[in-house]
Amino acid sequence: MTMLPSRRAFLRSSTALVALPTLTSLRGGTAVAAAAAATPPKRLVFLGFGWGVTEESWYPDIKTPGGDYVLPPGLAPLARHKREFSIVQNLWHKYSNEGHEGSTMWLTGANRYAQPGQNFHNSISADQVAATQFGNHTRFASIQLNGSESSGGSGHGPGLSLAWDVRGKPIGGFNTPVEAFHRMFSPDTTPLAQRQALLAEERSVLDTVLENARDLERRLGKTDNAKLQEYFEGIRDIEVRLAKEEKWLDVPRPKAPLAEPKPGLEGREEIRLMYDLLVAALQTDSTRVITYRQPVSTLLTSLDIRVFPHDMSHYHTTRAEKLDCSQKRDLAQSELLAGLLDRLKATQEADGSALFDHTTLVYGSNLRTGHELTNCPTLIAGRGAGIRLGENIVMPKNTPLNNCWLTLLKGSGVEVESHGDSTGVLEELYA
Amino acid sequence: MKPSRLLLMLLCLALPVPGEAGSPAVMPAAHRGLLEQHCLRCHGEREPQGNFRMDDLPLEIADVRTAERWQKVLDALNAGEMPPQDEPQPAAGAKADFLEALATSMVKARKSLADQQGTIHMRRLNQREYKNTLLSLLGADVDVSQLPLDTDTGGFDTVGVNLFMSATQVEQYEAIAREALEEAFGLEVGSAFAAVQRFELEYTLPIVYRDYLNRLDEAARGARWVEAVQAAMARPENAAVVAELMAQAKNDERKVRRSWKRISGAPAPELFGFVSTENTADKANRAFSFKHGNAYAERYLAQPLLDSGLYLTYRTGFEFDTAAPYVRQPFAWPPGDYVVRVRAAVTGQAPRSRRFIEFGIRHNEGPVLSTHEVTGTLDQPCIIEIPVRLARRHADRNQNTLFIREKGSGDTFEQTQARFSEGLKRNGVGPELAIWLDWIELERKARTPDNTPPGMRALADLPLEDKLPAPKTEAVRQALVRFATEAFRGQRPSEGYVDGLIAVYEQSRAAGTKHATALKDVLAIVLASPMFLYHAEPAPGDARRELSGIELANRLSYFLWGSPPDQQLRDLAASGDLLDSTVLAAQTERMLDDPRARDFVTAFPSQWLSLARLDFFQFNKKLYPHFDNATKMAVRNEVFETVADLVRDNRSLRDLLAADSVVVNAQLAEYYGIPGVHGDAFRRVSLPPGSPRGGLLGMAAIHAMGSNGEHTSPVERGAWVLRKVLNDPPPPAPANVPALTRLANKVLTTRERVLAHQELPQCASCHRKIDPIGFAMENFDAVGLWRTEDSSEAKDEMGKPIPNGRKTWTIDPSGGFHGGPAFADFVGMRDVVATRSDDFARGFASALVEYGLGRPCGFSDEDLVAEILARTKSKNYPIREFIHALVASRAFHTK
Repeated sequence: MTMLPSRRAFLRSSTALVALPTLTSLRGGTAVAAAAAATPPKRLVFLGFGWGVTEESWYPDIKTPGGDYVLPPGLAPLARHKREFSIVQNLWHKYSNEGHEGSTMWLTGANRYAQPGQNFHNSISADQVAATQFGNHTRFASIQLNGSESSGGSGHGPGLSLAWDVRGKPIGGFNTPVEAFHRMFSPDTTPLAQRQALLAEERSVLDTVLENARDLERRLGKTDNAKLQEYFEGIRDIEVRLAKEEKWLDVPRPKAPLAEPKPGLEGREEIRLMYDLLVAALQTDSTRVITYRQPVSTLLTSLDIRVFPHDMSHYHTTRAEKLDCSQKRDLAQSELLAGLLDRLKATQEADGSALFDHTTLVYGSNLRTGHELTNCPTLIAGRGAGIRLGENIVMPKNTPLNNCWLTLLKGSGVEVESHGDSTGVLEELYA
Repeated sequence: MKPSRLLLMLLCLALPVPGEAGSPAVMPAAHRGLLEQHCLRCHGEREPQGNFRMDDLPLEIADVRTAERWQKVLDALNAGEMPPQDEPQPAAGAKADFLEALATSMVKARKSLADQQGTIHMRRLNQREYKNTLLSLLGADVDVSQLPLDTDTGGFDTVGVNLFMSATQVEQYEAIAREALEEAFGLEVGSAFAAVQRFELEYTLPIVYRDYLNRLDEAARGARWVEAVQAAMARPENAAVVAELMAQAKNDERKVRRSWKRISGAPAPELFGFVSTENTADKANRAFSFKHGNAYAERYLAQPLLDSGLYLTYRTGFEFDTAAPYVRQPFAWPPGDYVVRVRAAVTGQAPRSRRFIEFGIRHNEGPVLSTHEVTGTLDQPCIIEIPVRLARRHADRNQNTLFIREKGSGDTFEQTQARFSEGLKRNGVGPELAIWLDWIELERKARTPDNTPPGMRALADLPLEDKLPAPKTEAVRQALVRFATEAFRGQRPSEGYVDGLIAVYEQSRAAGTKHATALKDVLAIVLASPMFLYHAEPAPGDARRELSGIELANRLSYFLWGSPPDQQLRDLAASGDLLDSTVLAAQTERMLDDPRARDFVTAFPSQWLSLARLDFFQFNKKLYPHFDNATKMAVRNEVFETVADLVRDNRSLRDLLAADSVVVNAQLAEYYGIPGVHGDAFRRVSLPPGSPRGGLLGMAAIHAMGSNGEHTSPVERGAWVLRKVLNDPPPPAPANVPALTRLANKVLTTRERVLAHQELPQCASCHRKIDPIGFAMENFDAVGLWRTEDSSEAKDEMGKPIPNGRKTWTIDPSGGFHGGPAFADFVGMRDVVATRSDDFARGFASALVEYGLGRPCGFSDEDLVAEILARTKSKNYPIREFIHALVASRAFHTK
């Protein structure tokens, strides 16, 4: 194909995040089969919920650090896993000050006001740091799952998922279980030659729109060009995906380890399904990095609770049904999480160990409760990053949450020296 | 060094350096006393505590670093961490004043630091514009809901810095464009199709009758089964088990009968014909108790005119097929413009409030699209015409039912149930039959060739169907150039780009794709290309420059129409005439008179006034069965229609503060209790004396947004008035303020509960301004209806009502603005607000600048806003004058 060089030249000329040698090595068509390596790979999972938790019944007593703490009522459904997760207390992002945003900065810790001349700024999220290094080995560099709810009542804040790219732009994701299922598991029955032709056609399409982008670029000033770079970046992402598809062309999509989900599920059942899909994605090594921005308002509706989520998070003053609702939410979320941990433990890797042994799962939010942004709820499970499990780990007050992310990234084998405003790893977390 | 001298030095530092623009964010020097007394001893020059110095903290917040330091002060005070507990604390009032000043300065500082200094970033079409542009270019109305909404970024959806692009989006653009082209080609091929079909509705009568007989039969069989079970229960050998079951079921025989298997001799419901996968006893029990339904059915069957039409019923308790009759778009009728006609009458049996029907697509699940007043009677029915656009996606069998039902009869089951049981309780039968329908007619209208959209006109030479002979490549090439020029809003595509398109076309043809299909694929690429997706105003080297004619036309057109410029505007742009101020003003007038200005009067107010909040929560349909979905739509429309009315008649912006008239239609007038209004069109109506309506603060949409769907929220309402009306936005709710818990489980009025906010100085600093305004609006309930009493019920921590925990009180709306005039009631408060038209106009002008220019309105826009206000104030703020002033401004003409 004659157009390829120009497109490739474009890829090279830009500050491509994805290393080009990887693309080059794909040209031979020898798909690097996801051969069962001697040791199963490391995985990272982040589950974020807006609106926080009920502080008096979710956190273990701060005065009983260590393994001998009493499991608080909000975590009661997790009793059978008590030895296999830890609660880390006193973490926060010092720059976060939006009392209604549980997710926007959760994995980044950015200062939204850091850039003069802008009223919103974000930076790369921890999952994406991992994805740049783990992503080359799988069909999807990372998978972002989202709950079905309008942004107004979600408590998540701006963003298209929990993930933000290297330039601090939001990354989209799969918004329903059905969509996630099809993107991951729908078998492609088109013959190989035809799929190759389709890929070639898609590449010609990209070349054409790039031509148009360059026509425009030549006439733009610096600020407008910065905006247009987002378009180039988008095309580059499609390129990378096409390169991946090419690489995976003769590797059939994994057989789905679960049935196709029914459309239209919301709330509790939707979260349960997304958890099933999450396990399936890891099990089939479709990706090694997953975030899930969980729904809260539809969860409440599915529990037959009519309290507006924002009001629920302000249960402190009147308590009563708002507190009741907040606690029911905690219980429902903990039950769902307990089910997910069951499945991670029960799912076997090729070497006979459990998925749980190679996965690090974080479950939390940037919001504690109300407008509180200190002691962000943080629950860590899984043995993937060598974290001490079974403990109530109480850190000094206002320890950077980014230190925790750094600790997990390094523990999972990601080569990274710092993340956001981190000041170092939390040695206390390592087993 | 003494702190006071330090502060003196600090004040000197804060003086603006000559020649440099000072920051508008300056912490007033009056508050230095508090710092001096409570902070500097520990946070001074020498060994400052926590390594945090405040002695050299400039009062002027002119850079990000200073802002972060002041933020730290604000956070520590809000959290109650500073001064430490064992140190003397500032007096509550002084602390509140200090916090108010600091929070306000921080808001100003953030705004000032984010100031783009007039730079307008190139931006892509937002979701709304993308949809409108496809409609204008291709005549295709497609679903774009998968694209990012663009309205939840905190600013307007036109602000470039907030509009991102991603790989997913690029692919979505291509996919949506492909669908739009499919639709447009279909519309073009079927443009001449015209047909009418009428569906008579009396076909339902036999169904109703059969259903009725079935139910009678079921009820009789149910009764026989109940009798047999009762006989078994009466047997002495069953006494013990019956006693046990009765105790368990708390003497509810219905429940006891569910356990019929344990009662020796009780027959199975199956023997009486009740077969079900659920508990068959439930089915039998239900049939047995179906008495009211029978009465409802009997009344139905006794109505006149059943042989020529039907009566709209309530689905609950009466499951005949007449609650939402629907018709289907006949197979093989193409997408396009349709008219649904309904011949209808009110029966006169029901109250006047039940004279409305609602229309939608997809019975049972589709949303209400419009509501209509039925003005006919059984003697003289009326014909209602409902225009509707049917797209390709509606051709799906699950989608293409067009339904009519009584307003508010089918939003949710609980709402329907509440309405049904209300009627049942009143008359023992069920709600009266309010509306009779004769027939429903569907017409597909042909499109005249003059209305061919420009994108399709560009393809006029090409065969649009695969079954026709393929065109020559050269013809395709020329058509692509015309189409792309149209899509790129007048900019010609480069040769290289067109070569690329042709290459894709030929590649696709060579692979065996038919010509029209290949053409649509290629056109979709054009509609995913940057020159279509971005509003580009090229400026090499970032130099400020005047916009060209066509750029100005684009900016104006997307400002007022959210769509590309039409031919007239493009011609004036090309000739350069548009740059003439008289021509420009005349075009602005023309555009505001055009139906496309509907985009401005919906998109702008809905974002300016944050109407999205209306959709953040479900309204409790049990508490408010009459605030149905159709009503919610009507109250939102009131805002749009009022702005549309102001624009149409160039009325004063002050009409939004207070007015002796409202813009309503029959439906909304019914809701507000304004007599004598008929028809579905909104129009200006004088208010009866003493009415609290008129102006934004009298609108139900505003009250409903200031609730949580169940209770009113004086805080939301007060903050909204400060933000949107008085242009005095309170700072965002601070993070990490200690929560107040001592009110838990107390029986309190709303005012008592909210006032508790003001106990802590960090809360009082804003709530003393917010709350009184909200209290004055308490006479409007959560759905905007007038009330004089309110009540609440205390609940325990399990959410159960506490005995004697209900309290009812007479609403006291009196109060006063913080540091301002007092008022006795809502109208008093509103009248004070109405005197603040200068503040309101300033807020409106700033919002208009942000929306129209696509960038935040910063401090560097003070002159622009002042210019707009100077031009409008002398004429008593006519709304068009604001638009003209902005359009005529230098900023609007400058890249």
